[in-house]
Amino acid sequence: MAASIAPECNDIKEKYDTCFLKWYSEKYLRGNTTSNECEDLFAKYKTCLTKTLKERGIDNMLEEARKSTPETDAEYNRRT
Amino acid sequence: MKVFSSNCTFDYSWEEVSTANWRKYCPWNDKSPHVVGVDTLSRNVDPETGILRTERLITCDQNAPQWVLSLFGGTATSHVYEVSYVDPASKKVTMCSTNLTWANVLCVRETVIYQRSASMPSSSTDFRQEAQITALCGGWQKIKNKVEEASVERFKENAKRGREGFEAVLEMSRRVFSEQRELETSAA
Repeated sequence: MAASIAPECNDIKEKYDTCFLKWYSEKYLRGNTTSNECEDLFAKYKTCLTKTLKERGIDNMLEEARKSTPETDAEYNRRT
Repeated sequence: MKVFSSNCTFDYSWEEVSTANWRKYCPWNDKSPHVVGVDTLSRNVDPETGILRTERLITCDQNAPQWVLSLFGGTATSHVYEVSYVDPASKKVTMCSTNLTWANVLCVRETVIYQRSASMPSSSTDFRQEAQITALCGGWQKIKNKVEEASVERFKENAKRGREGFEAVLEMSRRVFSEQRELETSAA
């Protein structure tokens, strides 16, 4: 797996990524889209990452970029 | 504005491609050393459609030409924001990304689609990539053109490397999965 931009989050990120990939290939792709066994790991990883995003001012850049996501959501987050 | 686009087909099922896609930037891929970080920002499944939506932050150490770097303030680390949508029903992944760094001088919007191939749906996957590159810096058209051309050139090189690197990840994924299956069968 790729690293996190915050080295101190690498351990928890790896645990989360491993959990996600297992869920994705074994459950999600087989039609079980509702389970969420990786949620706790993700919450921990996110707490760790959020600090770095703030420190480096990336959170502000993200906020700006998110302004255009309603467009892509409307186009791709629906049944085709 | 300049547009870069490319198409290709991977000889792997959509399930394999869409799974390996999550670890495209891993040590198995030695062609994308410019990607130094991939972080997931949010992830959820739409209860109505079953579509998996993921936001990621991709961090690159870009080896841009020196004159481009100096134009953009000399920083080599850049961030990309990506939103992706996996639709398991139509077997399609769409990834939309845009640059966060240098956004006031250059706007790069990329859309990548991995979709079950129309001709061989169970064993191969079509890949489509399109990027729109617009230099926003006011001033001479000549400079804007030059910035766009250099960016397209860089994009082209990275796209080629990206494809080669992803092939390596796909091959390794298939090998690891089949070894795992063998282990599980022999254990059973």
